[in-house]
Amino acid sequence: MLNKSLLVIGVACAIGGTSAYVEAEPRISVISQWSAGAEGDAMNAFGDLVTKAGAKWEHNPVSGFTTDMMNKLRADIIAGKPPAASQLKGPEIQAWSQIAPTVNLDALVAAAGYEKVISPELARLHKVQGHWVALPLQVHRINTLYASKKAMDKIGATTLPKTWDEFNAMAKKMAAAGITPVAHGGIAWADTMYFDLSLIGVSPDAYRRAIMNLDDKALRGPEVLAAFKQLRQMTGWMSPANAGQHWSVFLPALMKGEYGFLMMGGWASGVLKKGKFEEGKDYLCGATPSNVAKPVFDLNADGLIFWETKNPDLQAGQKITAQVAMGKEFNRVFTQINGSIPVRTDVELTDPAYQDCQRDAAANLAGAVAANQVVLSLAHNMAQNNAITAALRDVLTEYVHNNSISPEEGQKRLADAAAAAR
Amino acid sequence: MLASQIERRAVRVPEQARARRSPSWRHFWGVTAVEQIAKLVAVLTLAVAVLYVVGFTLWTTWISFTDSTLLPDYTLVGIKHYTRLLQTRIWQVAYVNLLIYGIGFMVFASAIGLLLAILIDQKVRAENLLRTIYLYPMALSFVVTGTVWGWLLNPGIGIQGFVRGLGWTAFRFDWLVDRDMAIYTVVIAAAWQATGFAMALFLAGLRSLDADLYKAAQIDGASPLRMYLRIMVPAMWPITIAVLVILLQFAIKTYELVRALTAGGPGIATTLPTTVVYDYMFQRGLMGAGSAAAVMLLLSLLVIVVPYAFYQRLSARRLTRHG
Repeated sequence: MLNKSLLVIGVACAIGGTSAYVEAEPRISVISQWSAGAEGDAMNAFGDLVTKAGAKWEHNPVSGFTTDMMNKLRADIIAGKPPAASQLKGPEIQAWSQIAPTVNLDALVAAAGYEKVISPELARLHKVQGHWVALPLQVHRINTLYASKKAMDKIGATTLPKTWDEFNAMAKKMAAAGITPVAHGGIAWADTMYFDLSLIGVSPDAYRRAIMNLDDKALRGPEVLAAFKQLRQMTGWMSPANAGQHWSVFLPALMKGEYGFLMMGGWASGVLKKGKFEEGKDYLCGATPSNVAKPVFDLNADGLIFWETKNPDLQAGQKITAQVAMGKEFNRVFTQINGSIPVRTDVELTDPAYQDCQRDAAANLAGAVAANQVVLSLAHNMAQNNAITAALRDVLTEYVHNNSISPEEGQKRLADAAAAAR
Repeated sequence: MLASQIERRAVRVPEQARARRSPSWRHFWGVTAVEQIAKLVAVLTLAVAVLYVVGFTLWTTWISFTDSTLLPDYTLVGIKHYTRLLQTRIWQVAYVNLLIYGIGFMVFASAIGLLLAILIDQKVRAENLLRTIYLYPMALSFVVTGTVWGWLLNPGIGIQGFVRGLGWTAFRFDWLVDRDMAIYTVVIAAAWQATGFAMALFLAGLRSLDADLYKAAQIDGASPLRMYLRIMVPAMWPITIAVLVILLQFAIKTYELVRALTAGGPGIATTLPTTVVYDYMFQRGLMGAGSAAAVMLLLSLLVIVVPYAFYQRLSARRLTRHG
């Protein structure tokens, strides 16, 4: 009796043992801040591509600004169960790779010949100690100027202003015609962005020295003072009743002609496209005013970082997702929905699904790379890590909302904040 | 021993209850078992409270002396974060705002609450209905209060817009976007929420007063106003202290109201220490500096509470000595 049952158990184990090797079912868990709107749609499209390539797609968005998603990510990492991939960008990739192990993507990147088609600035941001740990998903031009066609018609202007003087003149005419020249919500990062754009327009080289390198002499120099003066002029043209509201709240009013200009990243054109507004008919799009002749590009790039996992399903999923993200098809689909520029330099933008705004931005990027005037955005956490960015942001948001702070005082506070945070 | 136990039971268990009690062999263990369970539950709850409140407070204090950024790091580096924080503009603004908001909110809410309580105490009809209506704002979350008051106080679409639409075009009520007055909008919204609560407590206090005092005062010819000011209000001192303490902890805890109402205000004009702590810890990934800010917030609370506790002790001791 006992012998018989032992025999049965033994046979069962043998059968089970021979078929013990199970195929890994690739799946990938991703978290990002893109929960809704055009960006949510773009992530869904990414998910479709990954599913088609054979991995199960699990996307858990954390709505809000990037830091909300990063809080969730940190909680997951501390709990020992990081997602297989997450959105992360800029200097945070370097900082966060110190706190949790990441996947080395060198082999996959080399196999796809990816490095050859990416600009070196981008590649640098996504590598830690020379090894690829993250892949760039899209590039946004921050220094984009949107003008309401109706407002421009009212003051009799047909093209966007090219320099700050032209911009100031047009804004004065708009104010006289009863239009609020600058559509601004008043959130802290948007306040900071307006300063970035003022400084880039004055001198991208000064921006690089003062903001990206935090050079004290540059921070206390004349270019930064000129940027503060320009920013003070612009705050005079913003509606004081708008405080703490998201910039997208004013898009309908902008299209109607109640506001004149909006300075925002390229994603706004994706939002406008989704809202069925047409380029050329409802709005004009181009680069923000610049006193420098050669093109400037204020870069914001989102990346997807892969966290090390022991689960074979997730590992297989990571490989598939990385290969999809490096492909041309992904670049096309993702950027068409989002209004961004593909990270691969060999993706043609002749497809009609692309807007003129994006083609303009891509040409801008190519020109700026050639002129070495690609800079990283401070407001969007590309130039510095969160702590320094937040310290500078406090100064700038106070400056924007407090007309009694003079440009000299503002510059002093910014330089002091940078010195304290360094 | 048996005699004292019988004595204990006789003191604790009245005659009628004894007839209903469980069989006699459980009498001895019955009483003490219930006691032991009660003690165990109390000790467990206390232990959990001590662990969470005291234990984690000590942990946060330790972290505030270290250089932790994204993850905790336990090597001590001294009081660097405290000195730096005291020199940062946002902390100074936040602290001043806490004083303005805290004092304004407590005074406003308790004064209006007391007034409402006195008015309702006049034996009005529909007293229950009125009390419910005034208490209703407490049922809302601070986020809802902040969002709705944000709409009401917005110059374009709120009260200012409405009054201007009625014809009075020079009317101004744009405190929400004025960086000097924005903190007072937070006071208004918070006071609106908590006034009903203060009113309910004061009403209970008023109702618990001895009616003979009223009658004696009436006989002596005191007007109603004098009666309230000279008799009722001083006699309600303990209730007032209770209300102020509860409002104080509301004020210190305020975070989501500011987030919903002004998102930190025009610029940084309505930041409070709680928003600074959250910002440093979670948005900037500076755990050490955030913990230092949290500890400083706790210290400022202790500065008020500890002297008050001493004062209570002293006055109680004085009473027992002279009693």
